[in-house]
Amino acid sequence: MAKPTTSLRTYALTRLALVLPMLWILLTLVFFMMRVAPGDPVTAALGGRLPEKELQQRRHAAGYDKPLIVQYVDYLGDVARLNFGTTITDDRPVTDVIVENGSATLELTFWAMVVALSVGIGLGLLAGRLRDSGADVSIRMFGIVVYAMPAFFLGFLAQLLFGERLGWLPTSGRASPEVQFLLPTHTHLYVVDAIIYGDWATFKDVVLHLILPAATLGLIIAGVLIRLVRVNVLQTMKGDYIEAARARGIDEKSVVYRHAFKNALVPVVTVLGLQVALLMSGAVLTETTFNWPGIGFELVRYLNNRDYIAVQGIITFFALIVIFISLLIDFVNAWIDPRVRY
Amino acid sequence: MASQLIARAGRAFGPVREARGVPRWIVWAGIVLTLLFVVMALTAPWISPYEFDQYKDASGQRFVKQQAPSSAHPFGTNVQSTDVMSRVIWGARTELKVVLFAVVVSLLVGLPLGLLSGYFGGPVDRVLVLIMDALFAFPYLLLAIVIAFLLSDKFGSGVATAAFAISAVYIPQYFRVVRNHVVSLREESYVEAARALGARPRTVIGRYVFQNVVQSVPVIATLNAADAILTLAALGFLGYGIQPTDAAEWGYDSSRALSDAGAGIWWTGLFPGMAIVLLVTGLTLLGEGLNDVLNPVLRRRKMEPVTLPPRAPQEDEA
Amino acid sequence: MRTRTSRGLRLFVLAAAVVALAAGCGSSSGSSSGGSGGGGGNSDATIIMGTTDTAIHFDPANAYDLHSWNIIYNVYDELMTIPPGGNKPVPSLATSCGWDDPKTYTCHLRSGVKFQNGDPLTSKDVEFSFQRSIVINGDQGACYLFSSLATCGKWKGNEISTPDPQTVTFHLTQPDATWPFILATGAAAIVPSSVYPATKLQPDDQPIGTGPYKLVKYQPGVQTVLERNDAYWGTPAKNARVLIQYYKDTPSLKLAIQGGDVDIAFRNLTPTDISSLRGQSGLKVVEGQGIEIRYLVFNVKLPPSDQLAVRRSIAYLIDRQSIAHNVYNDTVQPLYSMVPAGLFGHIDSYKTEYGATPNPDLAKKELTDAGIATPVPITIWWTPTHYGGGSADEYTEIKRELEGSGLFKVTLKSEEWDQYAVDRGKDIFPAFQLGWFPDYPDADDYSAYFYPNGGFWNGHYDNPQIDKAIDQEKASTDPSVREAAFAEIQTLAAKDAPTIPIWQGKQIAVVRDGVSGVQETFDPAYIFRFWLISKT
Repeated sequence: MAKPTTSLRTYALTRLALVLPMLWILLTLVFFMMRVAPGDPVTAALGGRLPEKELQQRRHAAGYDKPLIVQYVDYLGDVARLNFGTTITDDRPVTDVIVENGSATLELTFWAMVVALSVGIGLGLLAGRLRDSGADVSIRMFGIVVYAMPAFFLGFLAQLLFGERLGWLPTSGRASPEVQFLLPTHTHLYVVDAIIYGDWATFKDVVLHLILPAATLGLIIAGVLIRLVRVNVLQTMKGDYIEAARARGIDEKSVVYRHAFKNALVPVVTVLGLQVALLMSGAVLTETTFNWPGIGFELVRYLNNRDYIAVQGIITFFALIVIFISLLIDFVNAWIDPRVRY
Repeated sequence: MASQLIARAGRAFGPVREARGVPRWIVWAGIVLTLLFVVMALTAPWISPYEFDQYKDASGQRFVKQQAPSSAHPFGTNVQSTDVMSRVIWGARTELKVVLFAVVVSLLVGLPLGLLSGYFGGPVDRVLVLIMDALFAFPYLLLAIVIAFLLSDKFGSGVATAAFAISAVYIPQYFRVVRNHVVSLREESYVEAARALGARPRTVIGRYVFQNVVQSVPVIATLNAADAILTLAALGFLGYGIQPTDAAEWGYDSSRALSDAGAGIWWTGLFPGMAIVLLVTGLTLLGEGLNDVLNPVLRRRKMEPVTLPPRAPQEDEA
Repeated sequence: MRTRTSRGLRLFVLAAAVVALAAGCGSSSGSSSGGSGGGGGNSDATIIMGTTDTAIHFDPANAYDLHSWNIIYNVYDELMTIPPGGNKPVPSLATSCGWDDPKTYTCHLRSGVKFQNGDPLTSKDVEFSFQRSIVINGDQGACYLFSSLATCGKWKGNEISTPDPQTVTFHLTQPDATWPFILATGAAAIVPSSVYPATKLQPDDQPIGTGPYKLVKYQPGVQTVLERNDAYWGTPAKNARVLIQYYKDTPSLKLAIQGGDVDIAFRNLTPTDISSLRGQSGLKVVEGQGIEIRYLVFNVKLPPSDQLAVRRSIAYLIDRQSIAHNVYNDTVQPLYSMVPAGLFGHIDSYKTEYGATPNPDLAKKELTDAGIATPVPITIWWTPTHYGGGSADEYTEIKRELEGSGLFKVTLKSEEWDQYAVDRGKDIFPAFQLGWFPDYPDADDYSAYFYPNGGFWNGHYDNPQIDKAIDQEKASTDPSVREAAFAEIQTLAAKDAPTIPIWQGKQIAVVRDGVSGVQETFDPAYIFRFWLISKT
């Protein structure tokens, strides 16, 4: 017996209204984690040089010894005014960090997703179609082993093979040092900027630098997608309408490609949203290995320096992205499947 | 009550014995691979040629630093002059300790929370879902790092810290899956029937819901165990994990080996790295295989050829 | 009707086509701009340096780390400087400087010097630069270096007098023989008073100095680019442009130098990397004397470090050669005093007191004479990254050395830097790892911060005799007086062993063939003089 379904509009409004509490919880979590964690930016920078008295003076001057609640209220106030401040360790406006490094990560994750989707969905569909055959088993093994490799390990092997041994591809950075210097950055997405700039050698340089990092990250996500898509294909193929199609005499190929695949991919869309968190985590390790100036690595660096202003700003940015994407996915899901709405 | 639960759980896994064909091989491959490492971990004191932090032999002679594989050191030595094979074997112990700890804690917290929250619903459920979703949205590695930071203050950087950091990441996962499953089960006719008959929540949950839900737990548990190893390795790689003098840990060893690889010293990174890949693969195969076998949509029953009894002659068939 | 597969496939094929096109066609992107080769170096060359250090600020009022000062030394000038290969300051922006009396120091400025924005340099700019540093008191800055001039944060107005545009007089509050050294540090760089804010920082991508280079680009965490200042008052730089590329970790840096992406790799390749790059064709390993040190500190209030015999016993057991060779592949040298070799006044006081190699018998004797039961339990703390990745191996090595004698039972504990830096001041660590990077290459920098008031680490060691000797060396400009005072400090310290010096680092860079000048700039001053680097 089904409950009455709510309209899409009500669902949308409810979901939107829930965004704010979610954001607030995340920000509170971040705040308390940062402040409760040991150390502070002054000690991190100068603890190896200055006597304790000096350090205390500087801490006091910077306001790190105010009561936690006061700092918390200040922090919420700043966020509400969209004032993300400037980082403590290197005095950069946090919005600059988000724009410059965020676009580096965006470029990397976008192309990684392209790789992941094409490889993951393609191989997953194939494996589902050819269930339990040799091809199926090898594709599954490939998916499992690739995911089982730590991102830094896979990345470094790739660097060693393609970079050092074969010398085909560059192994670090978004561009060669001189190209980096000369390229005007309008959008901060180097591929786009290189096209605007119009110089062929620059474009080639930027694309070559993108290949290894995007492929490494993409393959790891593909490993997950292969198995996911395969399972969904198998589940879909059991459906009654598939049996009906077969009974009507439609050939197997049409059954599979026209009926099963489309429906098999719908749940994958949901899971894609969840993969964003995975993508970000993988990006941190990939960015470190390939020297990619993205926001994941900057976050870890600022975390190490107890630069809580930078960390809060970056995490807020992450949170907004993840929330936005999961909102999008939920809307798509709710639009397709009315049972999901509240 | 507990013995009843265990009996029910046992029945829930009946299909494993019935599995045939490729899914069966996958499950068994996973079991074998995982068992290999479990045995390695349990028998480490006996099968390991040296201690994990041993740098000289019985006669007091130092091991050569970064020596290639040889008869004395089948996997070579690393930059601290310790034997790589011993660190791989002892490392199995560390990995399994941390992962077991993490999975048990996550289960003990996530499973009941998910069951109760899903079954009873209401505002408590809404709030819990919100909190868990918020945690889920956090990139897992960063969450683990921050918690490792916090806890290393209290417990030092050891097994407990890493395990808690990892379980904090996976509790929301268990919670979500279990809760969503329970929510969909709640609407099933037989559950409704039971409630209509006057069964108490305890009975409904214990008898109907639990058995259904528990089937999906091993799959998630093994897949999460696999993930936990990767997270531990990542923590070790970034320097927030376990110190080398406390225990052998594959992720940490891999990170030290990265700079070796450029110098042509391949053995310090290859063996710990392969160990990670093999164990994670084993656990994943186990989880995947179990999923193939237990998931009613996916599983295939053994086909017995049907033999009809011989046709009895009919009177009017002469 | 299109299905997902074919769309996915199309995208993939499109991507592959783009890549194939990119790889196939097109001219190869140039790696370094050459020009016509001359005999010794192409003066239009771009030098590319790779490093894992990061820059913090380029405003002298709020910069303190090695890399930021590197850039500051090349973009600005100071009144004094340490010449290449030297270890005493000589006039730079000044033509001459001297003491009028023990607390008054006067400098005569060079005439005709212009800032990179065209403004002429006058004594007003000098006064402004110091005043600004003291007033701003940046939390990443080194204003405490000027403590003989004024208290940080409090500018009274009478500290500096400028009788005419070419003369500057410093009125110190106490005699300070190290003042000429301090004038040569990056904190004392001279900024234009017409442009720099008096109470705020100048943006990092807009530094203006009088130095041999202008900063033309700063992309934090990615690269910094300097171009030759053609209006420089001194000898022009030997190259037209310097591009500093930042790498996140050492394996990437190593691949970069091997692959020719950079001409110089400086800081912080690991000992393993250096060993493997030594033999490689096309590359040279350049070494110079460094004066950063690493040492073990005792908190003399906590057991067992409170017992002199325990400290002396450990001093007898530390095997510096083993650490330098086994852990660091000889990229560091054993250190026998808290004042490193290469500085005026250095003596190997710990070698004299304890011998050059470990002596387990005398170590045992110290303990038995004091009636201390062995093995002595001791907890030693260290930190994994701040003092280099080799710390783990170094302290494992130390544990082995101490336990190998049977006299000690060592528990090693480590904490990440942030927690470590906080806890070291809390009387929790009986013995712990520290390092020191000098502000200026004078032995005073290694004494004044280590002994008075328990040292900056609050180790509670108090020796009035040493304190007196420090006052002596600070107050006198007579080299023989200072030498005697330093000798006394080092000898007394060795006897009591409140710390044990372990190693002193070498400056090491890996350089491609054809690049020269790096050896010349490696000296105790730690000024990486880009203007000396040339490339053929």
